[in-house]
Order: sequence, then C-alpha cells, then structure tokens
Amino acid sequence: MIKVRIPTPLRPLTKGQGEVEVTAGTIVDMIETLDTAHPGIKARLCDESGELRRFVNIYVNEEDIRFLKGKDTSLKAGDEVSIVPAIAGGR
Amino acid sequence: MNDLVAHARQLDPYECCGFLAGTDKTVTRLYRIKNVVSLDGASEAASFDEAKMNHLSQLSPEERAEIAFIMDAQEMFQAVKDMRKHGLTLQVVYHSHPHDPARPSVTDIKIANEWEENWSRLNLSLPIYMLISLMDKARPDVRAYWIKNASVSSADVVTL
Ligand SMILES: [Zn+2]
Repeated sequence: MIKVRIPTPLRPLTKGQGEVEVTAGTIVDMIETLDTAHPGIKARLCDESGELRRFVNIYVNEEDIRFLKGKDTSLKAGDEVSIVPAIAGGR
Repeated sequence: MNDLVAHARQLDPYECCGFLAGTDKTVTRLYRIKNVVSLDGASEAASFDEAKMNHLSQLSPEERAEIAFIMDAQEMFQAVKDMRKHGLTLQVVYHSHPHDPARPSVTDIKIANEWEENWSRLNLSLPIYMLISLMDKARPDVRAYWIKNASVSSADVVTL
C-alpha cells in the first residue's frame, strides 16, 4: 500500500480524509486509482493532456516527482506520496 | 533588495513572487517565480480560505493577480534544482502587495502555516517571508518576517 496525503482543498473529494491508501505502480496509476475512488480528483491534479497542473506539487518520500520521472515515477509499497498545493498568498 | 523592488514594480499592479537563496544566511541569488493565480482552476487548488475564495471568484482572472499569488510549481522546481546545483539553500520566500502594507495577510499566514510542515518534510529549513509594499510608489516598503506556529514576528535582515 501507498500512503497519500491529501491537501485541504481536495478533501471535499475524499470525504474529508487527509490521508488515503492506494495500491499503484506509478504516479499515473495512483492518480487513476484515486480518481476511481474519489471522482474528480484527477481533473484537479492534471490538465486535459494528462500533464501535472502548474500549481500542484507531488512529492514521493520528500522528493518532488519533477526531479524523478514525473508522472511516470514508480512507486513501491511503503512509499509516502504528498500532494501539496503550490505556495500561495495574497494581500 | 533593489532586485526585489524592481520585480515588484515590473509586475505592478499584479503581485510578484519568488525566492532568495544563498549560504550561511547570506543571500546571493534571486529567483523570480511566475504568479499563476489567473490560470484556470488555480485558485480552487490553492489553500485559500473561504472568504478569499469568494472574493477571488468575483474577479476576472487578471484582477485575481492584484490580490493574490500562486507560485508556478514548475518554476519552483527549476529554482530548487538550480539551488542544489550551486550548493545554495532557500532563505526567503517573497511576494508583493501592490495596494496594501508590507504585512502578511490572513491568507499569507494561513498558507505559511500549512507550508511549515512541508519545509521540514522536504528537508528544507523554514524560510523568512519578505513582503514588498507598493502602496507608496515612490517609497516601496520591504519587510521581513518569520511565520512560525501561526505567529508572526519581525525577522532581522541586513542589507549590505
Ligand atoms: Zn500577501
């Protein structure tokens, strides 16, 4: 199993859960699996062409997947994935 | 410091954002990061509170960038990559307030709090937050803060 941390803005899609567990071999796989269980989550993370949106970070065990193989980064049991909204703020 | 103000002025009336990096608490490099708040779906994805969301939803995508910023995650990655290459560490996260004082807003504090645990999870130390106010166009005001455990305190920054 892979533990996925869900940020506050996406929790309405996961019935409020801040952490969910999935079985997946890659990030793409994980997103598809999450979307089956929590419809709508994929559209929040990826654009129409399937690329990770520019205001979303995904970290696997402390490393940005952009440093790894992006959405093709492979996952193994015990990995921890964090979905983190980009740094933001306002006036 | 001049580079920070230059960035803020260049994007005025929109908010600019970026990083300062260096070694041993000394800043040697500035990274301008794109503000992607006007992108479709961006404000829904950010950790804005309800009041901020309601306000943003009444504005055009362009107007949103006058009162909010969201850092482009792709450019953030490029910046972190460059820091690693040069042995630098992230020291400061900055953004501008084109129409408001150089104080962290409720939104700024909320999101800084949420990021507090991310920095340590990513093995990065907690950055100082810097704000550039352009309320008085002739005299931009630049201030630095620590935002820890939901409390804000002034940070000492020496300009060389
Ligand atoms: Zn702000």
